[in-house]
Amino acid sequence: MADGILNAEPVRKRSRWKGLLLFLAVAGPGIITSNVDNDAGGIATYSMAGAHFGTNLLWSLIPIMVALIIIQEMSARMGVVTGKGLSDLIRERFGVKITVSLLFALILTNFGNVIAEFAGVASSLEIFHVPKYVSVPLAAAVVWLIVVKGNYRSVEKIFLWACVFYVTYIVAGFLAKPDWTAVGHTLIAPSFKMSSESLGMIIGLVGTTIAPWMQFYLQAAVVEKNIALKDYKHCRLDVIVGSFVVTIVAGFIVLTCAATLFKTGIRVETAADAALALAPLAGKYCSALFAFGLLNASLFAASILPLSTAFVVCEGMGWEAGVNKKFSEAPQFYGLYSVLIFFGAAIILIPGIPLFPVMYISQVLNGLLLPVILVFMLLLINNKKLMGAYTGKRAYNVISWTTVGVLVVLSVVYLGSLLGI
Amino acid sequence: MATSENSIVEILDANVNLFLFFSDILGRPVVGADGAPIGKIADLKVKLGELFPRVSSLAVRKRRQKGLWELDWQQVQDLNSNAVSLRAGAEQGFRPLEVKNDEILLRDELLDKQVVDTFGAKIERVNDIHLLIVKQDLRLVHIDYGIRGIIRRLGWLRALDAATNWLFAYQIGEKMISWKFIQPLLSGLVRGSLKLNVTSRKIHEIHPSDLADIIEELDTLNRSSVFRALDLQTAAQTLEEVEDPKLQVALIESAPADRASDILEEMAPDEATDLLADLPEEKAQRLMRTMEKPSREVIEGLLQFKEGTAGSLMTTDFFAVGKDRTIGEAIEEFRKTTYPLESVAYIYVTDKDGRLVGVSTLRHLVICERDIPLRKLMNPHLISVTPEEDADIVKDLFKKYKFLALPVVDEERRLTGIITLKDIMQERFEE
Repeated sequence: MADGILNAEPVRKRSRWKGLLLFLAVAGPGIITSNVDNDAGGIATYSMAGAHFGTNLLWSLIPIMVALIIIQEMSARMGVVTGKGLSDLIRERFGVKITVSLLFALILTNFGNVIAEFAGVASSLEIFHVPKYVSVPLAAAVVWLIVVKGNYRSVEKIFLWACVFYVTYIVAGFLAKPDWTAVGHTLIAPSFKMSSESLGMIIGLVGTTIAPWMQFYLQAAVVEKNIALKDYKHCRLDVIVGSFVVTIVAGFIVLTCAATLFKTGIRVETAADAALALAPLAGKYCSALFAFGLLNASLFAASILPLSTAFVVCEGMGWEAGVNKKFSEAPQFYGLYSVLIFFGAAIILIPGIPLFPVMYISQVLNGLLLPVILVFMLLLINNKKLMGAYTGKRAYNVISWTTVGVLVVLSVVYLGSLLGI
Repeated sequence: MATSENSIVEILDANVNLFLFFSDILGRPVVGADGAPIGKIADLKVKLGELFPRVSSLAVRKRRQKGLWELDWQQVQDLNSNAVSLRAGAEQGFRPLEVKNDEILLRDELLDKQVVDTFGAKIERVNDIHLLIVKQDLRLVHIDYGIRGIIRRLGWLRALDAATNWLFAYQIGEKMISWKFIQPLLSGLVRGSLKLNVTSRKIHEIHPSDLADIIEELDTLNRSSVFRALDLQTAAQTLEEVEDPKLQVALIESAPADRASDILEEMAPDEATDLLADLPEEKAQRLMRTMEKPSREVIEGLLQFKEGTAGSLMTTDFFAVGKDRTIGEAIEEFRKTTYPLESVAYIYVTDKDGRLVGVSTLRHLVICERDIPLRKLMNPHLISVTPEEDADIVKDLFKKYKFLALPVVDEERRLTGIITLKDIMQERFEE
């Protein structure tokens, strides 16, 4: 028997154009999801946390990471066991009305996020003296073309590089020469001195790290990857590694701003502010790296968010979806995808547009949507008919219900603070 | 059946429109003959088997009682738009809901779920279910998969129609598929087997290429249950058409071992070999051991060729005839060939040692005199490759000469297999 042949690596690659999600899945759904999570809004929040509170809130990233792992693990497990996306499961389980309202809210929040990403593109390139009237249309065109016209392999390379470029934040962190003993101190013996301001900041950190779209995206990516049940442990590892990476990057952003802006008492509102303010304090390279990281993150998220939104909506509604289909075969898919990118970019180009209300509404919707989706997820994952033997174990359920409970309370508080109640 | 003519008229009267949508019935209050409230309609149960199956019973969520209660459809007196009223004494007929294997719950197992449209060879999501009142029966006739179904269930239909009429003088049309073309899929882990829509166009009448697309689009559970429902030959052809090797492996692993090896035997040897090469070694060995000897030997032979060589592309299903045989004898032999030939474009002519000496075509067999020996009309100038030849060179040969098939010979020019245009096209499309 030709043992050697059976052992031989299959040389012939037979992957097919089956949804952009498929190729993303090859690189690891968990890692990609987490990296997209560090988008323009996330970077802004981490910068503010560092600039306003120094390393004082660094410890909070660790419980946030644990919560992120718990939530994402549920998404991944449901994806592997049922082979269906989250919107599909919600549709089959809870009917049309709930699905349509959820998807509607998801489109709105994601649209807000897409606008934020294009704002990130505009402001990061303005640091390099590129006016937004050039950078934003160009970015929108590139993002749109990558998915609609792009060749699979070239797109894959672009996205994998995008993940690598998050390293810029770690380099920037070292360039800012943080006080490592203070870092160690805050991590080992965190100070829980709570002011209403720092509590607000922590809630903001949670809100930006655990977003509704991630649950949909991660599960869809896991499903596209056709992961077998026996390979689930690899999938879980992927989720854990991804959450770990996102926390490390976030930590370095906080560190960079803590070591520079916090010391000199500079207050920032956006990631681009932070990048600009870094120049005189930590050198132009640190500033440029910070801005470049922002550009990379914004572009990355601006590519994935509209795509994932279109996928999730079409899946829930039963419409054809996938980049391998022609426009006439999947009009809703391409329509929604294009509309999100087009209007997301166009809004940024309106002269004198106040971006704050847009972000604000998007954050409010995020806060409203997250608890609902988390509760649905817990109901679904504990459904015996759906998950068979893979429902949560009792101890695990206590942890996940507690996590979700805490997150729900935090979202409600966050929402209250946003609405000024 | 205890239904009187009278009540049929009543039902017809109450519903001038004979068709009705499941979403309209769902949640309607159920009242007794005296008008006392009993509960709400939670589901309808349909017995599969007929072309347009009948609703056999309704599932009611009773007030202040847990679980769903089943009642025979015959106990329904009147189906008017506000409430469903029961016959006198019907309440004794309530029993806890139970679903047999040839029955299906419309809400639990059909509404909002994916189904296979065997006519269009596509997967659709059920937005609503269209029912028809025939005599005293309620029959399942259509599946609504259009946007109208969704809008109707949201309760916005009137608003939408008004808006589109006003703006575009247009109304979004219904999109329905007749139930006879619908293959429902199973809804959960509880039931392992597919409820086959027995009177419908059978699922294996769908072309294997379309079946492969459908299977690729389905989730894991439905995927393996559809695959299990296929007969061996359809399963083998479908597996050949599935393009993701990981999915091929998953499907063959989901089948019981003896069925898996039967399917592999049905597959073209080169396809089966590729699949076996992708399987974990232990599993592949086990499957090969249970295969019939001839198939196993062919595959063992093919497995020895490295990926990216002519040998890995070739199949051993070809038609060869000795050069001294007559046309008539060749036709006889061709008739006796039982295994499915991948390509019948060329008839290969060999000498007594099995060495390839020429090629003829099916056309020659058909139009020439029956007593002419093949060597007289064969073309002795032919291009062939060795099994070790690089696959890229093979592709170039196909491109240059526009062959339908290319013979593969060993160092002594003995014919060992052929590479068909189909194999090359598959390679090229996958690049």
